[in-house]
Formats: sequence, C-alpha cells, structure tokens
Amino acid sequence: MTNHWIDIRNADCVLIIGSNAAENHPISFKWVERAMEAGAKLIHVDPRFTRTSSKADIYAPLRSGTDIAFVGGMINYVLNDMKQNPQNYNMDYVKQYTNAALIVDPGFTFHEGLFGEVKDSKYSAAARATWKYADKTTPATDPTLRNPNCVFQLLKKHFSRYDVDTVGNITGTPKDVYLEVCRTYAATGQKGKAGTLMYAMGATQHTYGTQNIRAYGILQLLLGNMGVAGGGINALRGTSNVQGSTDMCLLAHILPGYLAIPKEGDTNLEAYLNRARPATITPQGLAGDKSANWWGNYKKYIVSLLKAWYGNAATRANDFGFNYLPKCDPGVNYTHIGMFEAMGQGKIKGLWAWGQNPASGGPNSNGEREALGNLDWLVSADIWLNETAEFWKRPGVNPANIKTEVFVLPVACSYEKEGSITNSGRWAQWRYKAVDPPGEAMPDLEAMNLVMLKLKELYQADSAAPARDAVTNLDWNYGAHITADAVAREINGYDLTTGKLMASFGALKDDGTTTSGNWLYCNMYTEEAGNKAKKTDPIDAHPKQIGLYSNWAWCWPVNRRIIYNRASVDLNGKPFDSEHPVILNYAADTKWQGDVPDGGWPPINQAAAGEKYLPFIMKPEGVARLWGYGLAEGPVPEVYEPWESPLDKNLMSQTKTDPCSFVGSFMNNRGTPERFPYVGTTYRCTEHWQTGIMTRNLPWLVELMPEMYVEMGEELASEKGINNGDRVIVSSARGDIAAVAVVTKRFRPLQVAGKTIHQIGVIWHFGYSGMATGDSGNILTPHVGDANTTIPEYKTFLCNVRRA
Amino acid sequence: MRQLRQSLPTGTFVLGCLVILGLIPIVIRYLNGLGAISNLSDGRPWGFWISFDLYCGVALAAGGFTLAGVVYIFGREKYHSVARPAILTAFLGYLLVILALLVDLGQPWYIWHAMIYWNIHSPLFEVAICVMTYTLVLALEFSPAVFERLSELNLPVIRRFNWHIPLRIIRAIQIPLVIAGIVLSTLHQSSLGSMLLMMPHTLHPLWYTPVLPLLFLLSAISVGPAMVIFESTLSTRAFGHELAIDVLSGLGRAIPYILGLYLLLKLVDLLVAGELGLIFTAYPINLLWWTEVIIGVVTPIILLSRPAIRQSRRGVFWSSVLVIFGLVLNRFNVSMLALGMRPGFTYFPHWMEVAISVALVADALLVIWLSYRFLHIAEHGEAVAE
Amino acid sequence: MSKGTLYDATKCIGCRACQVACKQWNELPAEKTTNSGTYENPPKMTAYTFTKINFTELEHNGKFQWVFNKQQCMHCQEPGCAEACIVGALVKTEGGPVTYDEGKCIGCRYCMVACPFGIPNFEWDKPLPWIRKCTFCADRQGAGLKPACVTTCPTGALTFGERDELIAEAQRRIAEHPDKYVNHIYGVQEVGGTSWLYLSPVPFEEIGFPTLPSAPVTINAERAMAAVPPVLVGVAAAMAGIYWLVQRQQKIGQKAGEEEKQKEKVK
Ligand SMILES: Nc1nc2c(c(=O)[nH]1)N[C@H]1C(S)=C(S)[C@@H](COP(=O)(O)OP(=O)(O)OC[C@H]3O[C@@H](n4cnc5c(=O)[nH]c(N)nc54)[C@H](O)[C@@H]3O)O[C@H]1N2
Ligand SMILES: Nc1nc2c(c(=O)[nH]1)N[C@H]1C(S)=C(S)[C@@H](COP(=O)(O)OP(=O)(O)OC[C@H]3O[C@@H](n4cnc5c(=O)[nH]c(N)nc54)[C@H](O)[C@@H]3O)O[C@H]1N2
Ligand code: SF4
Ligand code: SF4
Ligand code: SF4
Ligand code: SF4
Ligand code: SF4
Ligand SMILES: [Mo]
Repeated sequence: MTNHWIDIRNADCVLIIGSNAAENHPISFKWVERAMEAGAKLIHVDPRFTRTSSKADIYAPLRSGTDIAFVGGMINYVLNDMKQNPQNYNMDYVKQYTNAALIVDPGFTFHEGLFGEVKDSKYSAAARATWKYADKTTPATDPTLRNPNCVFQLLKKHFSRYDVDTVGNITGTPKDVYLEVCRTYAATGQKGKAGTLMYAMGATQHTYGTQNIRAYGILQLLLGNMGVAGGGINALRGTSNVQGSTDMCLLAHILPGYLAIPKEGDTNLEAYLNRARPATITPQGLAGDKSANWWGNYKKYIVSLLKAWYGNAATRANDFGFNYLPKCDPGVNYTHIGMFEAMGQGKIKGLWAWGQNPASGGPNSNGEREALGNLDWLVSADIWLNETAEFWKRPGVNPANIKTEVFVLPVACSYEKEGSITNSGRWAQWRYKAVDPPGEAMPDLEAMNLVMLKLKELYQADSAAPARDAVTNLDWNYGAHITADAVAREINGYDLTTGKLMASFGALKDDGTTTSGNWLYCNMYTEEAGNKAKKTDPIDAHPKQIGLYSNWAWCWPVNRRIIYNRASVDLNGKPFDSEHPVILNYAADTKWQGDVPDGGWPPINQAAAGEKYLPFIMKPEGVARLWGYGLAEGPVPEVYEPWESPLDKNLMSQTKTDPCSFVGSFMNNRGTPERFPYVGTTYRCTEHWQTGIMTRNLPWLVELMPEMYVEMGEELASEKGINNGDRVIVSSARGDIAAVAVVTKRFRPLQVAGKTIHQIGVIWHFGYSGMATGDSGNILTPHVGDANTTIPEYKTFLCNVRRA
Repeated sequence: MRQLRQSLPTGTFVLGCLVILGLIPIVIRYLNGLGAISNLSDGRPWGFWISFDLYCGVALAAGGFTLAGVVYIFGREKYHSVARPAILTAFLGYLLVILALLVDLGQPWYIWHAMIYWNIHSPLFEVAICVMTYTLVLALEFSPAVFERLSELNLPVIRRFNWHIPLRIIRAIQIPLVIAGIVLSTLHQSSLGSMLLMMPHTLHPLWYTPVLPLLFLLSAISVGPAMVIFESTLSTRAFGHELAIDVLSGLGRAIPYILGLYLLLKLVDLLVAGELGLIFTAYPINLLWWTEVIIGVVTPIILLSRPAIRQSRRGVFWSSVLVIFGLVLNRFNVSMLALGMRPGFTYFPHWMEVAISVALVADALLVIWLSYRFLHIAEHGEAVAE
Repeated sequence: MSKGTLYDATKCIGCRACQVACKQWNELPAEKTTNSGTYENPPKMTAYTFTKINFTELEHNGKFQWVFNKQQCMHCQEPGCAEACIVGALVKTEGGPVTYDEGKCIGCRYCMVACPFGIPNFEWDKPLPWIRKCTFCADRQGAGLKPACVTTCPTGALTFGERDELIAEAQRRIAEHPDKYVNHIYGVQEVGGTSWLYLSPVPFEEIGFPTLPSAPVTINAERAMAAVPPVLVGVAAAMAGIYWLVQRQQKIGQKAGEEEKQKEKVK
C-alpha cells in the first residue's frame, strides 16, 4: 500500500477492483465504512456480486480477465473529460508531478497490440529501447502537453481506442453502469478530492496482472490521487505478514529491501550495480529541476546487506562477499510455476515447503502433486499435516509407487512465538508469544537456526562441498537459541565503528563500515527508541488528525505513513486538500509538519535553483510514470485475452494473448471454448483461509462453510438443469472437481462480443487433508503466469459444468 | 358379571402390552433426550403431549368438579351415582398429566421447583399450583371409596385400624373440599387458556382472544357432563350394570345451555374483534374452526335439545362423543394446529410420542378396572336394568 | 440505565465473526452442517448457536441487494419468555439482559412458545436438557466488557451502549443518510421495545423480521392473571352461597314433605 488501512477513511471515493475486500480483508471495511459515513461513494468492480458489492453504491460486473479494457476505458474517459473540463482536474499535478510532459523516443511504435518485435515471448532489445524518453538522461518536456510525442499525447492516442462501446463489448459491463463508474470516480480528479483504489488478487492473478496494476497507476496519477491522504494504489496484501515477507525477499527476483537478485552476468559488485542501479534522469523545463533518484544509494544498501550477512568475511578486497551470493541462470524461471515445471521434468531433487502448501495452493494441482513425486525428499515445516505433506497418500494414488521421502517438522503457530509482522500499510508491529507450542513444535526461527548450525557444521567438515565458503563464512552468530529481537536488530543494522544500532538508512555507507539486513527497515530499531515495532501510542499526533497514528508501531521507510507525500502539496508547499493534508506548514526553521516527508526539502518554489526536488524520489526521473519503462509487455497496458478465453479473437487487436506470459508445459493442457464454454475464476471466502488447512481443521469455521462449493448464475443453472444445492462436477482441460452448486442472482450472464457469457466461481479452500475435505479449485487452474512476475493465472480459465 | 370375566382378561392383556410398549420410549428419552423419541423441535417445542395429555387431559377430567358441584353443592342427589366414578377418572386424569410431564419436562426431578420458585405472573405457574393442589383434593374426595373398602377387609394389620375415623374426617370436610375443587378447577381450566394469551402473534386470530380463559372454562364445564355420560356408558357396558336413563338425559340436558353460551361468546368475540370474516377467508385453517364448531358445538346443541334423543341412550352417548370430539379438536387447535411454528419447521407426532400417551391412558384404564373390581365405585348407582 | 446493541445492516458485511465469537465465548460446540446452496449456516439457531447471520438476496428500489441480518435474543423490555417462565428462571435484568438460571428451570419450554421472536432453544439431544439462548453476554457485561459479538465485529455494524443513546444514534444515522435506510428503527416499539435495535436498508419484513405491534405480548395474560384473586374469592363465595341456599331449600322441602306425610297419616 502506498497509504495504509486507516487512511482509507480519508477517501472521497473508494474504488475496489480486483479484490473482495469485505470478505478477505474485513478490517479494511471498517475504514471504507468510515469514509462512506463521511459521504464517500463505494464502487466495486467484480465478475460476481460479493459481500463487498453488497455495500457498494455502484456495483459493476465485468468478465473475468478484462480489467485493462475496463480501466483503459476509464482512463480514456478521464483524458477526454480533461480536455472539456480541465477545471475539474488537478492539471498542475499531472504536468509537474508525472511524466505527462516528457518527450518519448520518436521511434516508438504500436501495431496490432504489439509495441515492437517479440521473440520467444520477449520484446527485442531494439523494441524496448524505443519505450524510453527521447533523451535518456535529460528528457525534454512540453508543459502544454501538446507535443504528439509527449507521454500525455501518446496516452491519449493509445487509450482513444478504449471507447465505451468497445470496452463494454469486451467486459460485458452494462453501459449505464460503466458510465456511472467513470463519472463517479473521475470526480476525484478535483483538487482536494481523493479516490483510493483497493486491489488484490482479482487484479494480479492474470497473465497481464502487472499491466492491470499499471493501468490503475495511470488512472490514479491522472486524477492526482497518489501521495495524498485518502488516495493511493492500495494492494491489500494477503496474509498478515505477506508485506513483511516480500520486504524480506520472499520472492525469487529480489534480495531484502527490493535489491535485485544477482544474475549470471553480474560477475562482480560493479557489474551488478551497473545493471541494477538506475541512473539519474533530470527532466528539463519542469518547476522541479532536481531528481533525488533514491536508488542512487544502491551500493550503500547492498554493501551493508553483505556486511550483515558475511561480517568480517566481507571485505573490500572480496567485493564484500558479493560472489558468495548465488547467481540466477539466464532463461530460467525461478518462480513457483517455474520451479514446479522443473520438478516435473525431474530437475529438482529436494523441496523444503516452509509454511506453504503447494499441493493445494499452486495452480494445476494434478500436475504439481505429480511433480512432487519426482522429488527425492520433501520437508514440510508446518503447523498442520497439510496436502503437501500428505501428497503421497492422496486419493487415487498408490503410496507404494511414490518414492519421495517426506519429513515433517512441527513448528509453532503465530500465537506461540514472538516476532514482527508487517501489515499492508507497511507497519511493522511486534507480536508477543501467548502460549507455549505443543509437543516438539518450535518457532520457525529456532528450527531454521538449528538447521543452519547443522549445515555449517556439515560444510565445515566437507572441504569439497560446492560453494563451501558461502556457507561457512556466513556470520551466523545467534548461538544455540535465536531470538526475534536479535534478528530485528540485525535487520536494522549497526554502525561497525561505534558498535551502535544505525539511526536510519540515510547514514548507511558503501565502505563496509555499516551493516543492515534490510535498508528499508533501518530506523526500526534504534539506540534511543529501541524496537519501534513495539510502540503502541494510540494518539494521532498529526495536526489535522488524518489518522496516521505515527507512534503506533513503525512503518517503512523511516516511519513515513503515506509515501510520495510530497505530491500532496502544490509547488508552494500548500496542501491540495486542506482538510486532509499529509505534510504541511513548511518553514525554513521548523521544516515540515505532519507525516515524515519524502525528503525534507523545501517546497519546489521556495528552493534554490538546482535544489528544487521533484516529488517521486524513488523514480530516477523524480516524477511518476504515466508511461512505464521497465515492464515486459511495453510502456502502457494493452488489452489481451486470458490464456484460455471464451472468444476466438482479441476484440482490440490481432494479438490474442499476452505476448510475454509464461506458459508451462508439464501436464498443462489448454481448453477450448467448444469443450469448456464457461469462464471460470477462483477466489476466497471469508470463512476459510487459503488452502484451508488452517480453517478446515477448526470446527467452528467448518460449521460455517462445510463443503466445497461453486457459484453460478440462475440462467446457466437452468440451462444445465442444476438446482441450488445440487452436487455438480466442474471440469477444465486439467481436471475435474466435485462441489455443491450455489445458484445465485449474484452471478449474471454478460453480453460479450455478441455472445452470452456465463461465469462460474470456484473457491480453492479445500483439499484431502484435515477435518473437512473436498476437491481443490486448483485442479482446474492452468500452469501459466504473468509476463513480469509469473503469478499464476488463477483468476481466469475455461471450464464446463454438469450435474454430478 | 360373566361378561366382565370374559372380556377383561384379554382387555387387560392388551392394556398391559400398551403400557410396556410405552415404557420403551421413556427409557430412550432418559438416555438420549427428547429429540430421540419425539419430532419436537425448536420450531415446535410443544407437541402431542402438551395438546393431548395436558390440554385435553385436564379438560376431559372436568367431569370431576362439575359432577361434584352438581351433587354436593347443587344438591342433585340423583347424580350421586355417577359422582364417584367421575371423581375417580378426574383423579386419574390429573395423575396422568403429571406423569406425562415427567417425560415431557426437560428436568423432571425439578418439577417441585414450581412450588418453591414462584413466578406469579406466569399462567403456567397458576396451572401447576392448581393442578397439584386439585389432584390432592381429588385424592381426598376419592379416598372414602378406599377407606370404606379397607374397613370391610378382614386383613391382618389393616383390620386393627379404625377406618371410620378418616372417613368421618373426610365427610366432615367434604363440602369445603368440593368448593376448593371447584375454585381450583375454575382457575386452572381457564388458566390453560390464559397460557395461550402469551402468544398473540403465533396463535391464529380465529382462536386468539383475550376471553380465551372464559372460553376454556365454559368448554370445560360443557365437556364435564359429556365425559361422565361417555365414561359411565362405557363402564356400565363393560361391567354389566346399567345407568338410569334419567340420569343420562338429565346430564345431557345441561349441555346445550353451556355450549350455547360458549358459541355465543365465541361469535360475539370474533365480531367485536372485527375478525368474523376470517371464518370464511382464512382458508384452510378455517376448516378446523368449522369442524370444531359444527361437529363439536352446533350439532350436539341441536341433538341434545331434542327430548327424543335425550331419552335414547345411544342418542345421549353419541351426542356426548361429539362434544368431546369438539373439545379435543379445540384443544389441539389452540395448542398445536393453529399455533404458528417458527419458519422452516414441520411437525407430525412421532409414533413414540403417541405410544407414551397411549400407555398412560392404558395405565388409567387398568387402574379403573382394578378400582371397579376392588372398590365400591358403581354400587351407589347400580340401577336395575330397565 | 439499560444497555442495548444497535445492529446496522448497512454496515454488516456478513462475515459471521460474531457467530464464531459467540460460540467461543459461550463455549458452544460446532454443529455438523452441509452446504445447501447458501452461505448461511447453521441453517437455524439452536441450543448450540445463539446468533446467526441471515443472508437475503432481494430487489429493492430497482437495485439488487444482498442484505445480512443478525439474529439473536432481542432482550425484550417486556419479555414474553420471562413472563411465561413458570419458575422465574428467565428474568429481565435492569441492565438490559434477559438472563437464565438453569438452577431453577424445569424444562417446560413455555418460554420457547411464548417468545414472539422464536428465540429460546432446547437441548433436544441431551437426557437432561436446558434452555439455551443469547445471554447478551451478561457475564462479560458484569466484568465491564462488551458482548463478544460486538467486540469482534470488524466493521462497526454492532454498537453497544445505553439503549436511549443508541436510539438517538440510530435516528441520527437515518437523518444523515435518509437514502440508505428505511425510516424505521426496529426494536424501539415492537412488542414494547427490545434492547437490541436494528437499522436496515430495506423494509424489515423483507429480511425476515416479524411485523409486530407495540403492545407487549404479555398484556392479555397479565390482565387474566390479575383476575385470579377476585375469581378465587368470588367462586368460593358463590359456591358457599349456593350450597347454603340449596341446603336451606332442601330442609324446607323435607319439612314440607314430612308435614305432607303426617297430613296423609292424619287423613
Ligand atoms: N478470508 C480470507 N481472507 C483472505 C485470504 C483467505 O484465504 N481467506 N487470503 C489472503 C490472501 S493471501 C490474499 S492474496 C488476499 C486476496 O484477496 P482478494 O484479491 O480479495 O481475493 P480473491 O477472493 O482471490 O479475489 C478477489 C475477487 O476477484 C474477483 N475477480 C475474479 N476475476 C477478476 C477479474 O478479472 N477482475 C476483477 N476486477 N476481479 C476479478 C473475484 O470474483 C473475487 O471476488 O486475501 C487475503 N485474505
Ligand atoms: N486457485 C487459486 N489459488 C491460489 C490463489 C487464488 O486466488 N486462487 N491465491 C494464491 C495466493 S494469493 C496465495 S498467498 C497462496 C497461498 O498458498 P499457501 O501459502 O500454500 O497457502 P496456505 O494455506 O496459507 O498455506 C500456508 C501453510 O502454512 C502453515 N502455517 C501457518 N502458520 C505457520 C507458521 O507460523 N509457520 C509455518 N512454518 N507454517 C505455518 C499452514 O498450516 C499451511 O500449511 O495461494 C495461491 N493460490
Ligand atoms: S483475518 Fe486477521 S488480519 Fe485479516 S482482517 Fe481478520 S483480523 Fe485482520
Ligand atoms: S426475544 Fe424472546 S427470548 Fe429474548 S427476551 Fe424477548 S421474549 Fe425473551
Ligand atoms: S423451560 Fe425453563 S426457562 Fe423456559 S419457561 Fe420452562 S422453566 Fe422457564
Ligand atoms: S451478546 Fe453474547 S451471547 Fe448474545 S449473540 Fe452476542 S456474543 Fe452471543
Ligand atoms: S461480525 Fe459484524 S460485520 Fe460481521 S457478520 Fe457479525 S455483525 Fe456483520
Ligand atoms: Mo496471497
């Protein structure tokens, strides 16, 4: 989240698209309702009418997988309306704080859904080069936004194709509802008004999921909703600590603090930095003339990280141990899908499932369960015996035929151990242990420590072990009993000269004299204030009480509650929204009041020439990007059909599916609309959690949602002779599941490209382990992934249904 | 007498079987709960037992206080011959109500809580206190029959006791006892109606009225003589004696007056409440109302108003059967059929529910049989056969 | 000083955390359920489920709606259950809750029949069953806590407080958003008022609330019970009087009869 949970209450309009916030983030709804009490409108865009929709002023249905068309049309609406009614928009924001005015490479092309040449699911380097500014370091601007090669005009041109009728034809959203959504949300473009955009998996789990989010970004920037209170793009993170685990590099492409993972070509630290560290771009002709390019500090962060990991073994001479880090091979996909593809091909020998249940949660369960059988060994460190740990005795297989050796490590659950979690709003909060774990179960951290100590011992003993130094030189110094406190301090980092905790990342050095396990968390644990994640001061000290509660917990970076907050004030430092200012009252002596500013510099108009800092300090050009730079499929989102689509062509272009998406081949059949005419989607319900192993074992929750179910509209049900509550079989090209049919008016057929499209909703909370069992929705989902992240396309596939 | 010897052994055997059959569900109830032997549910917490055992049982035992009143207070000695059997059946009737409650109540051994934790606002509390006290009164009223017999017996220890002392005491307080019985009956017969006053929204408006208590009382009084006619006809047949026809027709003569008053009150009440139209519109529930009124009220009024019918044993008997039927249907209507259920529930009595009630009735019949055999029940009125 | 809870259906997201919290606090077992084509479960309130969210799909003002509503004991101001209870096991306390004392209850189930909302439930599967219903968490209230369901409610659909203040708050909400609510606070008037109050976006009868007048269900029974002492005295006196009259007449009659006989003899 760029903002945070409580801040939702400051919104004038809440757009929930690609999330079922009421069901999956119930607490968020407290704040949505606060906003509504104060007059905010709530819009929900979802293929199905959910408990979120039930609270919405406007509910807009859409065909699953068509968000780019939907939001692209909104962008088009805003761009057109801006021309007619510029007074209704914050044009200063658009011109000064985004790259709207920047001139793009004239070589840029767009033809039939493609932004240049694609080979092997990749755009050519030549194509990618044209997506950039004409001048790569000091781009020119056109403050009038009229230059046909400026970002604004290119956007207009691109999205002019997204007219209401075309969009409606793709999404199936009724036109009147769609226009009402556009009008209502565009009203947040007014200076002083804010619209927040809440999304989650409905947006991301598509082959073009990242581009969905890009589209949201463009919309929010055009409306001046970034950096302001009640605005932002708010990813409702999944588990209570999924934000924290991403910060700490849960994903395959990053190191802690979103530092890039080293690749094969990064032969030394310098090479790595040259690739990963962005060069400063200074736009010409904007009011702001200085780009902070915060990522310019890359080296300080990576060196401090290496020092934290390798201690004295990290020296200037050995590039601070840079080469101890493993390097990614080119052309290998290290994500979940890639890993299971490799497992299916027998390339992976062992798997450690630490608090994960891929046998049920991963896409194409039949394939992934089969792939697990190719392993020599599997370790499940978990609080329950889940489907993964029991994959060898799943229904329909003979355990004798499975050779994988399975180990189970019982670990403590969240109430049985201490540590921090980082919530969606980036707040790190300390949790204390409430009860002792049962039996042999121990906190994950302790289990990991014991494993690591044993590994070090084994590596020490084996002089021929590969990459031996990378393990033996690790500064693993927690002793026999590790504490969360020790790890938290290490993550914050030390000044090696004084031995004291670092005060903040501003002081980290690239000479090996400082350490920090994660630069973003540097400032959480200081000598003066101690562990700030433990702070619980319930007073909102902000002068206008916008709900920051800055002394409750601690938030990265440096306790800044709303990031990009320098975009919430005009060039003179005056807040656009005087009721809900984020930062305010800049004075030379007292500086800013309110939130921790995104760099404490004076307002642009008060600063000296050459010191007029642009607001978006994490971007090399200092302004926000309406025009993307680095994504796989091009600089602006474009409509593609899902990998399995009910249409025979993309209504917008000749390119049917995302040209760069990842398509698996292990047991991954593709369905056709002839055999599987309905659009399937998977989602959650309030009552169950994920693969369900944590909730299907709790009788009170099983009572609420006892069985695997699927939802469908009354029209489809009557076509198929299915009554509410009947048992049905839903099938895809990958498998069949049995479920109870919930037949409801909440799913309505949509008119798309002249056809009637029915959608079927499937939960994925069931499996064969635990107390209440049933088929997993993931038996249906395909092994294909997003072009940038390879997040599986769980949200759209083709299926069929019949009475059981 | 010959008839008696031949018929009763098979009769008692059948009754005995029914009693045993009723014991099985009772055992199950104490092991597995009421849900295991009944179709009662949260939506229909009161079912067959309350309607039959309590509501019908108490009303059908009304012969006791009506006859006691007629004989002892109004001094109609003519009916003396049927008073004692009436009191006996009433006494047994009330015992059965209490026995049935021991199955029906959730906490049967706390039944005495009703005596120590008083909720004087509760009509059920009043019913409970009255029923308990009245059962005692009935026991006392009936006790002379026992004492008389005991005094005649030449048995070892019993012989030593002078049974005339308690007899004399009872005779001395007989009139206060009878008055107490009438007062208690008036109160609880009507309070059974008051109990339903608590259900203004669940009891159908065709039956719900603030004057329910009065209607209950009147219908109970009217069924008193009818029950006496019914029982004595059957018992005399079974035991081979005959009742004087003028006793029967005399009892029958009173019925039309009471029923007439009852019917008038029922109609006027609906009229005043502006709900008279419901008897035509509230289909299908109005069919129950019509059945109750036509068969159980109007027809007996007509029949028993005709001397010819009153003079025929069969005529009086069958008219009484109609009155009883009407009352039973009325009690079932108000306590079950016309009482709304919670949404989504259905109810049809489980066979075990019925079995328990049948067993209790069989119990009573057995006791009556024993009483006739061993006590002087009917000898007062052993009229000569016509 | 009487507590109440305001349930605002426009704020309820049907998450049913309240249902679970209630079971947790009251240590109620889970029921064995099946999916019958709805999110609603258990299908009905029972002795082991004191509160339940109902889900209704309906069309109102031309707009499709999915409305949730929470059911539990309403804690009536003039509770039928308490008036009915033979032993006074159910009692309306001054603080608001209608409490139940299982040390007194005999299991007659009159309370179940007498409740206009169909709330008290029975342990049909136990040999010695008790009545069970929402306690308004009287035990928690006694310790200065809010009811478990209120504490757990994530959205603020449940507000606990002084009943009067809640009514004022409900009126304020209706006045502020007349478009969002029907102009009716359920529980202010119904059957003499209830401690639990409801706001709804659609007419209450459309989401399964019984339409009830403001008269308490208890009034007719109360009147009848008030007549008991006079009836008792009256009937006793009347009977004694009749007895006396009848006896007198009979004596006169006897005398007359004897005189007649004597006369006959004389003749
Ligand atoms: N109760 C509960 N809460 C949870 C979880 C849980 O398992 N149970 N999981 C947690 C986790 S890890 C996560 S990531 C979050 C996920 O939170 P959400 O993203 O809210 O979860 P989903 O239910 O997967 O999907 C949201 C909605 O997307 C809709 N949808 C499907 N296809 C499309 C589409 O193409 N476009 C749009 N706009 N919408 C679409 C679905 O109908 C669904 O209502 O929830 C978290 N919270
Ligand atoms: N079809 C479909 N599939 C999906 C999604 C979808 O929307 N549709 N959503 C995807 C998303 S967003 C997510 S996040 C994934 C989630 O997928 P998973 O993470 O695989 O699912 P969980 O059920 O949360 O599994 C977590 C495991 O951690 C265990 N656990 C709980 N607490 C602890 C602990 O403290 N320590 C340890 N070691 N273990 C613990 C649990 O018992 C459980 O076995 O699923 C994905 N799968
Ligand atoms: S599940 Fe936990 S984290 Fe999610 S809304 Fe509920 S309380 Fe908050
Ligand atoms: S709702 Fe029913 S159980 Fe609750 S207080 Fe009122 S009458 Fe009693
Ligand atoms: S069942 Fe218990 S609480 Fe209910 S009325 Fe009877 S005695 Fe009272
Ligand atoms: S008040 Fe207490 S007992 Fe009643 S529903 Fe809420 S949690 Fe359950
Ligand atoms: S906890 Fe609150 S929001 Fe959730 S169902 Fe209950 S009342 Fe509604
Ligand atoms: Mo997630």
